[in-house]
Amino acid sequence: MTQSQLNIIETENLGKTVPTSDGPLSILSSVSLVIKPAESIAIVGASGSGKSTLLSLLAGLDLPTEGFTKIKGKNITTMSEDGRAELRNQLVGFVFQSFQLLPGFTAVENVMLPLELRGDKNPRASATQLLERVGLSHRLTHTPLKLSGGEQQRVALARAFVTEPAILFADEPTGNLDSKTGDHIIDLLFELNQEKQTTLVLVTHDNALAARCQRTIKLEAGKML
Amino acid sequence: MNRFSLALRLLLRDGRSGELTILVLALIIAVTSSTAISLFADRLHRTMSTQAADFLAADLVITSPALIPEHWLKKAQEYQLKQARTAEFSTVLIENEELLLSGVKAVSQHYPLRGILKTTQSDNYNEQSIKHQGPLAGEAWLDQRVLSALKLQLGDPLIVGEKSLTITQIITYEPDKRGDLYSLSPRVMINDADLEATQVLKPGSHVHYFFQFSGSTEALSQFSHWVKPHLNVSQRLMDIHEDRPELGSALTRAERYLGLSSIVVILIAGVAIAMSTRRYSERHFNATAMLRCLGCKQSEILWLYLCQFIILGIAASAVGSLFGWLAQETLFHLLRELLPSKVAAPSFIAVILGFLTGLFILLGFALPPLLRLKKVSPLRVLRRELEPLPTSAWLVYGLALSLISLLIWQYTQDLKMTLSIIGGGIMASLVAGLILYAFLIQARRILPFVSLSWRIGLQGLLKNPRMTVNQTLAFSITLMAMILSYTVRTDLLDDWKNQLPDQAPNYFVLNVFPDQVDPFKQSLLQQNINSAEFFPVVRGRLVQINHVPVQQIVSKDSQGERATHRDLSLTWSNKLPIDNKTIAGSWNPNAYGQVSIEHKLAKSLKINVGDKLTFTIGSQQQQATVSHIRSVKWDTMKPNFYMVFSPATLASYPTTYITSFYISEENKPVLNTLVKTYPSVTVLEVDAMLKQFKTILTQLTAAINYLLYFALLAGFTVLFAAVNSSLDNRIFEGALMRTLGANRALLRKAHIIEFSFLGLISGMIAVFMSELLLYLIYTYILHLTYHLNGVLCLGVPFISTVCVSLAGFLGVRRVVSKPPMLVLREI
Repeated sequence: MTQSQLNIIETENLGKTVPTSDGPLSILSSVSLVIKPAESIAIVGASGSGKSTLLSLLAGLDLPTEGFTKIKGKNITTMSEDGRAELRNQLVGFVFQSFQLLPGFTAVENVMLPLELRGDKNPRASATQLLERVGLSHRLTHTPLKLSGGEQQRVALARAFVTEPAILFADEPTGNLDSKTGDHIIDLLFELNQEKQTTLVLVTHDNALAARCQRTIKLEAGKML
Repeated sequence: MNRFSLALRLLLRDGRSGELTILVLALIIAVTSSTAISLFADRLHRTMSTQAADFLAADLVITSPALIPEHWLKKAQEYQLKQARTAEFSTVLIENEELLLSGVKAVSQHYPLRGILKTTQSDNYNEQSIKHQGPLAGEAWLDQRVLSALKLQLGDPLIVGEKSLTITQIITYEPDKRGDLYSLSPRVMINDADLEATQVLKPGSHVHYFFQFSGSTEALSQFSHWVKPHLNVSQRLMDIHEDRPELGSALTRAERYLGLSSIVVILIAGVAIAMSTRRYSERHFNATAMLRCLGCKQSEILWLYLCQFIILGIAASAVGSLFGWLAQETLFHLLRELLPSKVAAPSFIAVILGFLTGLFILLGFALPPLLRLKKVSPLRVLRRELEPLPTSAWLVYGLALSLISLLIWQYTQDLKMTLSIIGGGIMASLVAGLILYAFLIQARRILPFVSLSWRIGLQGLLKNPRMTVNQTLAFSITLMAMILSYTVRTDLLDDWKNQLPDQAPNYFVLNVFPDQVDPFKQSLLQQNINSAEFFPVVRGRLVQINHVPVQQIVSKDSQGERATHRDLSLTWSNKLPIDNKTIAGSWNPNAYGQVSIEHKLAKSLKINVGDKLTFTIGSQQQQATVSHIRSVKWDTMKPNFYMVFSPATLASYPTTYITSFYISEENKPVLNTLVKTYPSVTVLEVDAMLKQFKTILTQLTAAINYLLYFALLAGFTVLFAAVNSSLDNRIFEGALMRTLGANRALLRKAHIIEFSFLGLISGMIAVFMSELLLYLIYTYILHLTYHLNGVLCLGVPFISTVCVSLAGFLGVRRVVSKPPMLVLREI
């Protein structure tokens, strides 16, 4: 097995430049990193440092203007959009700051969705189990409108883990929560991560949260420090 | 994974959350109305055709110069069609040392299959009786003129050829009076069984046979389809539209209005579907981005949503078809007093067509916004501001445009006109859209000078001019469709009313000799009867066009072919009838040898201005140059002519005169005096035809009125729904403003200002677009006179302002009544 295949994520000279009315703007440049399986990584930096951009490039949600990203040895930069979609379906889970639950769906239906897209035979059972795991067995049939912020984020966690992804990307998962609720969510995140042995890539400006990860990548003005 | 079952589940979840209500409502309305209208139009058309068949004395008639093969009749029997036959020929009668050329009609047992005969046994026209079959063997029924000319009375013998018959009745009305109304030959009707005994018909005799059939629509259609390829050049199937142009014209116009109603409702619903789907699409950007994150491919995204819409379309179309069926049944129930007791049964094909129309409308108008979902980037989960670029409007609405073009083409049956209307519509939309866009950009300058409520209200329209233009055009198209429906209906009905006033002529008088004209006029005036103009008539046959025999030019089974196989009634005049419109050329009555020709006949004979026509009149030949081509309104009860000559051209030929007048029921005995005083004239009663005609128009009028109400109801419902679908941004901003301290009164005022302007501008653009299209439709399709309607020009913007304001205000009222946080959470 090659070194590339041993690393779960690998980037080389990753960069993103966008055109503006004042000329090209470099949001990210020359980011080269390697992430091993089951590692937990925190990407930290001030607002506007390029953290979310780096996350989007690592997850294949966006394409770089320079460099490449490999996931499990496959260069996702040169893949087609459908190829990246399939890769996300098989290997990746997401947790977002704004939860991103589908408003018309109940809690269990939100968690079932990734399994339904994959074609699993009994998605409801798996989703129910995971919701029970995150302490929401009594809220299965409630829509996001009826859930608090913390409950919504727990549903999002359940959805992210239900497919047992190899990699979990989390973008400011406690950004919209109070500190007490946020702490509970983070505890749950790391518990599930430990259980499932998922590689965790976490974007945060919270140093305390970053400290719980095995490694921290600091960004400043789009460059890795 | 079973994507279909996932699509169904996603659809049910969306439906549960209320996302699809407006869309479903718009689609059900579209399918209900298109099914109801197509079912109604189809049943009404077939019922009217049955009534109109009275004027052919059958549902289907084959005319032939010889007997048709026996197996054709056997085939008709197989289809269980009733049959009858008439044979018409001219023969000279000699009685009491008097000679008379008469038109003999030998009728078989079941004649007439449709319609009635009227006869009398006295010279009092009030004492008529209705007959459902012709004379018995040994009997003869005659025109009054025959009795007068041959000095005969009822009960006297009449010898036709070698056969002696007894005169038993005077014919006063015959449903299928052949050729044109102005036939010179007075009628003798005998039984078919006596025909052979007359020995008049020998090989080579000039005789017209009319083989008549009646039965179910399906059987008639099958027989007609079977027999058509077997017809030779001298045989043809008779058609109500050409053989009775006065009735055919009214039927055609009514059918066209029904078609227009259908297009109008489909357009209205299509706009609503487009707006609702656009809203649906925008509200699903986030969900779609999430699906993309979870691994859904672009093609899968499109398939998921498309699948949902197809399922929705099938369900809503099924419901709409059912409602449409009920709606047309209700319409017929409402019209039951006016329609015949036996109305044509509904056709299953029309239901299927309504169902399919629903699916086509949905896909045509909903596909463009749905396609946008395919382009949603997964990055939107991190960057909410990322929106998929809208695809080119031309490309994406091509399907919807094609659908509407297809419907309009079906309606007009004229590709050139369809392209003109579509082109005109697109041009009007573009011009209106560009002017509005420029206006909105410039209008921003006034914002600093107006009060806060005006600024907030106007800002709602000015901040995104492109979206405002799209929304305005959507409302304008909806309003335009409603204006078209209302205006065309009103003018169509007014036009009919003018053509058939209460005292429309119910009697025609023919064969008035030149020296009788003035005394006849005097006789009428003495009885307080106002007659139409006396038109001179010369009988002649068109034999050459530009020195080429007509047989080499005309197409088989065309109107032109029929016009050249018989004598035409040729007239001359200094001025043309007021309702004859110039199509080409100019009319110069002072020049010798000029002729004006009716435009449909000209087209059938491939005649243009400048062509030279040669006529045979008696034993002479007469040439004339076509200087003028005109349209004729056949659905009036006045004498109308295919050919009108300049006076000097025909004045030297033997001439008789024609006129028409109205006689009330009480005054009918006057006719007896006239006929006795002028025994050579032929009096034709068109009362029955006129009454029938008026009945049909009354039925059509009522049906058209109900359809208009339906179209307007659909339009207003959809307009309200469409306004509702455009409110999300306004609701969000309103809630935000309340959190910043804006009071309810300020917001209410701002909303009223915003929606009033939206309604006013939409109304004005709707008037502009509809007037343009009305001009095209009136002038080139319905052949009505176009005029600008000042009341609509002022009324529509006013009504639109009120309706859009009301709809918008009701839609955003929760912004001012609910706590802001609740509203923001819901969005």
